[in-house]
Amino acid sequence: MVTPAAPPDLAVRVGTVSLKNPVLSASGTFGYGLEFAPFYDISRLGAVIVKGLSLLPSPGNAPQRIVETAAGMLNAIGLQNIGVERFVAEVAPRLEEAGAVFVANIYGRTVDEYEAVARRLSDLPALAAIELNASCPNVKEGGILFGSSPHGLSGLTRRVRAATAKPLWVKLSPNVADIGSMARSAEDAGADAVSLINTIVGMAVDHKTRRPRLANVTGGLSGPAIKPVALRMVWEACRAVKIPVIGIGGIQTAEDALEFLLVGAAAVQVGTANFRNPNACVEIIDGIRDFLVREKISRLEEYRGGLLS
Amino acid sequence: MPSKRPRFVGGKILRNTGHGIFYRMEVAVPDRVEFVPGQFAMVSGWPGNDPLLPRPLAIFRAGGARGTGTVEFVYKVVGRGTALLSGLHEGDPLSITLPLGHGFELGAADRAWWLVGGGVGFSTVFPAGAALSEGRGDFEMFLGARTRDQLPPREWIPGGNLPGRVHLCTDDGTAGYFGPVGDAVRERLDGLKASERGRLTILACGPREMLRGISESALARDVPMQVSLENHMACGFGVCWGCVTAVREGEKSAYRRVCKEGPVFDAREIVW
Repeated sequence: MVTPAAPPDLAVRVGTVSLKNPVLSASGTFGYGLEFAPFYDISRLGAVIVKGLSLLPSPGNAPQRIVETAAGMLNAIGLQNIGVERFVAEVAPRLEEAGAVFVANIYGRTVDEYEAVARRLSDLPALAAIELNASCPNVKEGGILFGSSPHGLSGLTRRVRAATAKPLWVKLSPNVADIGSMARSAEDAGADAVSLINTIVGMAVDHKTRRPRLANVTGGLSGPAIKPVALRMVWEACRAVKIPVIGIGGIQTAEDALEFLLVGAAAVQVGTANFRNPNACVEIIDGIRDFLVREKISRLEEYRGGLLS
Repeated sequence: MPSKRPRFVGGKILRNTGHGIFYRMEVAVPDRVEFVPGQFAMVSGWPGNDPLLPRPLAIFRAGGARGTGTVEFVYKVVGRGTALLSGLHEGDPLSITLPLGHGFELGAADRAWWLVGGGVGFSTVFPAGAALSEGRGDFEMFLGARTRDQLPPREWIPGGNLPGRVHLCTDDGTAGYFGPVGDAVRERLDGLKASERGRLTILACGPREMLRGISESALARDVPMQVSLENHMACGFGVCWGCVTAVREGEKSAYRRVCKEGPVFDAREIVW
């Protein structure tokens, strides 16, 4: 008699945070999470990471904010958001009610503001972690001031670390010379994990009108175009630090996600793929499960980090 | 149950035919589609990652029964995405998210309606005309194009091309009124009695400059107007915040999403 094999175990750990699967929604591509409830049960995700929150609501950048590029897109949204108070009062209870594991991405114009947002969020028992945005390329105060040098990143991380007992993930910018030393700075300053990469700074112009295509002139490149860069940086970061690394950048399919897990990522975030297919995250979870079944791998942990030389 | 909640579905093209500069595409989808005139869909139908993003298209018509539905789009080739769509054939698969956005508000039954479509903008206001001709009925249509050949086929006009009800306008005078559709609307507004203006609501879709001009004419005469805006979009359902437009909010202005709070806005709100 053949007994059907137990479904493979997709559970992963990011430091002290246990997740039912390794697929997380990337901040800035998933709204506040509830927008996806018409499409699927958001509690199926490893975690929902919400749009970057600031101390006060922020209006964002002037349009035009997005432009499509070869196999990718540039955005310069400018961190428009409802502010941490409305998130705590209106959104967090509904995410909890939906059964979602959720993580708040935060940014500030000053280190004090980062601290204040982190403190306010620490009051939410259901919040799984805080992701520190030290890497938004579109707002001077959106973290890139702190996130482009190991010294700046270390100072910011240390201060926010002291302000909250929540697990602290630091989201890194790829717009640096040495991603390994940035990851080490975050680790040394007390981060529980690093997530990377944020978008790559890019630019598009119209050769006929002779104008930039974005009102902000430059923007952050995302989508499949950046995947090889992201994969290389995640691989380097995994070798540079002992804390978990969360892989982000151009993940569209289960195969893309598996590649990041193979080079050592503890989990992955899916971003721009959500725009073209609202079901992208759950299709990726199903695809990872199907792959493990086909390969007769009972636990994702057996596969993760197993890159052969 | 037919649902107005947005869904992501696979579709199959039933027809995709050219009509002058426009294409009309009918697609089979897994279930009946219910929509409010002015709502739209995000549509893609090409393999690979380039172009990356689906394209927003107004829902022109939809129907079907439980378990089988159809949806129609009318579009013009404006870039790579619509060029690829125009090359698709019967049987080709599409990915579609629909219905999306905030449509026209066709409220009170005793009102008179003017529907204004500039260029391919008619594809957004015709569904409102179709809904009005099913019930309340009292509407006129203003259609603007550069030249005669770029007006929509007459048989597509909801309620038929009745004289006195449909006002064609061309920039070059090759058909109907000689001049921009906004001028025709303004002149006709000035010919109305105050009581007639009091019953009137204008619904419009077209180039932003056209909408701005007509909204100035309408609001100066206390005629309410709803405008359907366009923008580049990444997601179409409110999560990327890429498609915003500035709207008045008290003394200040704020950015609202064309895909979520729009595409149809009260013209009074828009900061042009």
